[in-house]
Amino acid sequence: MKGYILKRLLSLIPVLLVVAVVVFLLMHITPGDPAAVILGPEASPEEVAELREELGLNKPPIEQFISWFGNVLQGDFGTSIFMKQPVSQAFFEHLGPTLSLAIMAQVLAIVVAIPLGVLAAKFRGSILDQTFMGISLLGISVPSFLLGLFLILLIGVELKWLPVAGYKPIDAGLVNHIKYLILPAIALGSMQAALIARMTRSSMLDVLNANYIKTARSKGVKETIIVIKHTLRNAFIPILTIIGQTFGTLVAGAAVVETVFNIPGIGQLIINSVERRDFAVIQGSVMLIAVSYVLINLVIDLLYGVIDPRVRLGRK
Amino acid sequence: MKKNKFSFFALILVLVLALAACSSDGDSEGSNSDEKKELQIAYNAQPPTLDPLITTAVATRDVMRNVYESLLTLNKNFEITPLLAESYEQSEDGKTITFKLRKDIKFHNGDVMTADDVVASMTRWAETTSLGKTSFADATFSKVDEETVILEMKEPQFTVLHMLADPGQAAVIAPKSTIESATAEGLTEFIGTGPYKLVEWKADQYVHLAKFDDYQAIDEPASGLGGKKEAFIDDIYFQFVTDASTRLAGIQSGEYDIANAISFDNAEQLASNSDVKNSIDHNGFNGVVFNKKAGLFDNVVARQAVNAALNEEAILTAAFTSPDFYELEHGLMIKEQTEWYSEAGKDQYNQNDPEKAKELLKEAGYNGEEIVILSTRDYEDHYNAAVVVQQQLESIGMKVKLDIYDWATVLQKRADETAYDIFVTGFPTEPIPNKYVFLASSNEWPGWTNDPIIDDLLNKINTAASQEEAKQYFDALQEEFYEYLPMIKFGNKTTITTLRSNVEGMDFLQGIILWNVDKK
Repeated sequence: MKGYILKRLLSLIPVLLVVAVVVFLLMHITPGDPAAVILGPEASPEEVAELREELGLNKPPIEQFISWFGNVLQGDFGTSIFMKQPVSQAFFEHLGPTLSLAIMAQVLAIVVAIPLGVLAAKFRGSILDQTFMGISLLGISVPSFLLGLFLILLIGVELKWLPVAGYKPIDAGLVNHIKYLILPAIALGSMQAALIARMTRSSMLDVLNANYIKTARSKGVKETIIVIKHTLRNAFIPILTIIGQTFGTLVAGAAVVETVFNIPGIGQLIINSVERRDFAVIQGSVMLIAVSYVLINLVIDLLYGVIDPRVRLGRK
Repeated sequence: MKKNKFSFFALILVLVLALAACSSDGDSEGSNSDEKKELQIAYNAQPPTLDPLITTAVATRDVMRNVYESLLTLNKNFEITPLLAESYEQSEDGKTITFKLRKDIKFHNGDVMTADDVVASMTRWAETTSLGKTSFADATFSKVDEETVILEMKEPQFTVLHMLADPGQAAVIAPKSTIESATAEGLTEFIGTGPYKLVEWKADQYVHLAKFDDYQAIDEPASGLGGKKEAFIDDIYFQFVTDASTRLAGIQSGEYDIANAISFDNAEQLASNSDVKNSIDHNGFNGVVFNKKAGLFDNVVARQAVNAALNEEAILTAAFTSPDFYELEHGLMIKEQTEWYSEAGKDQYNQNDPEKAKELLKEAGYNGEEIVILSTRDYEDHYNAAVVVQQQLESIGMKVKLDIYDWATVLQKRADETAYDIFVTGFPTEPIPNKYVFLASSNEWPGWTNDPIIDDLLNKINTAASQEEAKQYFDALQEEFYEYLPMIKFGNKTTITTLRSNVEGMDFLQGIILWNVDKK
């Protein structure tokens, strides 16, 4: 097991190198000058040139890349041109809101989707099944920003039940923290909920037809126990895969939702940094996201073993 | 394991129920206005830095004008009025100005403002800003005694007081110690004398300002950026909300007390809502700037052809929807600036004469080459105007391409003479003509105006002996502006700031003014 984890971690290095080269190239092909953004629209070209020199933007790109990637390997992701703080610090400050949002969206999605999926599978073909699956189709089809705007208008502006936008950190009170996250979490989590519900249903259906379920039934085991204890657990591996994959897309999709709801998360950090060409932050954040994708996938793979002992045995 | 799963679901269920219960009782929290008054502002842009001397960005100007003050400032008619100076006196030959400072003015750190602070601040301003570098390179600020500072110049400058009072990159006074610790990238501590002090800048989220208890207001009626300033609000939060629809929703729901840069399309919808009110304020002008260094428009006749073709009313309607939000106005200085306002060149404005345009175009030797207009969708008014300009130029037989980028790219591209022929941008109304960046050739500003007559007239305004004389030169300058056409002004524009109906006392002069704002 340890060797496996180590191998997976080592595979990070080539991934990082590829990501670094691609991001760096993209950044330097893209037009736009951070110095001009800092100095504002009426600055003179002379001042812009001076600031470029000061920020080290006049050095040859290769030199910039080597010194930057060298620092990255030592854990130094550079300093933000605008925020005047280390990129990793800025990243982790913005990570809180994104994680809160993603976790909240994921929890909402799981809580809603798994029972729905289970019920739909249990009562396959019924009106209940068709309604749930119809709703889930809608969930997949409606883009999150549209749902977000709709929620803002209905719940925030018309009914005034929840705040329309903004973010309160946990130290402003858990209730406040969550109150601001409910609408964005629904907007963000709806597609995940739909995917998970559909996967739960089909995976449950496979298992419900298995022989050991028939055996359990013939033994007179209670139906609820059959569904939850015998079927759901055995159907859980594909569901977990979907949950793991969608958690990654949650972080990506958060960029859109964070903009609509004005949440200072990673998505907004990257979008703002692109707008003002804060190269260090963009490069650093993308690297850190790449690392976390690899790590999340690793955790999911390890979780398979926890749920299904056969997977664990197979790896030994 | 199986039991665990049950308890996991049970835990989540309990959590969700608890949350639902909590979130419904949370609504009553908003009404505790007796304690501390808080003002939430949804502001459309992030300041790139909080040092007003470093950047010309309006976000920095609008936020930091609450924190910093200058010796002189402008009243609502763009006239000079003293702020941290008690009085000022210009010598007979115009070469020296003596400032008497107000006594016992405290900085936010508790120190009393001295002549040393003023000298250090003014010297840094002269060395850092473009205005300082171009007009005060040979000038010196020095201390006479604790309450007197003197400015000495080699040559008299008629516009000197206006430059010192200019609210864009204002000549703000900060403690000498913070100036000494400033790096090339700007101040690291933000301590001023204004009615609000800086508490925290959380990048990408908000700037938090708090009432400065030791603030000493001037005992004169408030006007523009001068006069009496009172802080009625305890805490001001500039929340950076870049998405226009989020600002709109937030001001309607009451999440924010003030929201700026509201889309003109939403003005009517908000006007019919009794919970909010719109403040419509003059906000400078938009126009097209020609690339006069390379391509077709280095030829003045080609620029005149474009000017003859444009129908400014159609352009302004596309950008600002209704005459409530724009004004057809040719003048570089607005009517409120009575000392400057000039009718010169009016006949050249808004001609809408395609026949004349076609003739001029032929005379300019246009041979069907493609013209590039550079614009951005980051500012919808720029983009909408660019589209109409494109149509109008195509109707006189020009081939026109729109190059649309994000704002940062436009800023870079417009500095490249090979990248475009025309770009769309906006300007604030300046207190003096000399401050318009597109006039003097020495500015080397994108578009590269290079007209000896304009340069000469700017110089004459700068060294004029009286306002009458300066005004004469300005008449000639505006005439020449419409002859040479460094850019074409569309007309005056406004900006909509929406306030909750209980917010009172907001004013506007080159940006929102928040002192004297109260929440009832």
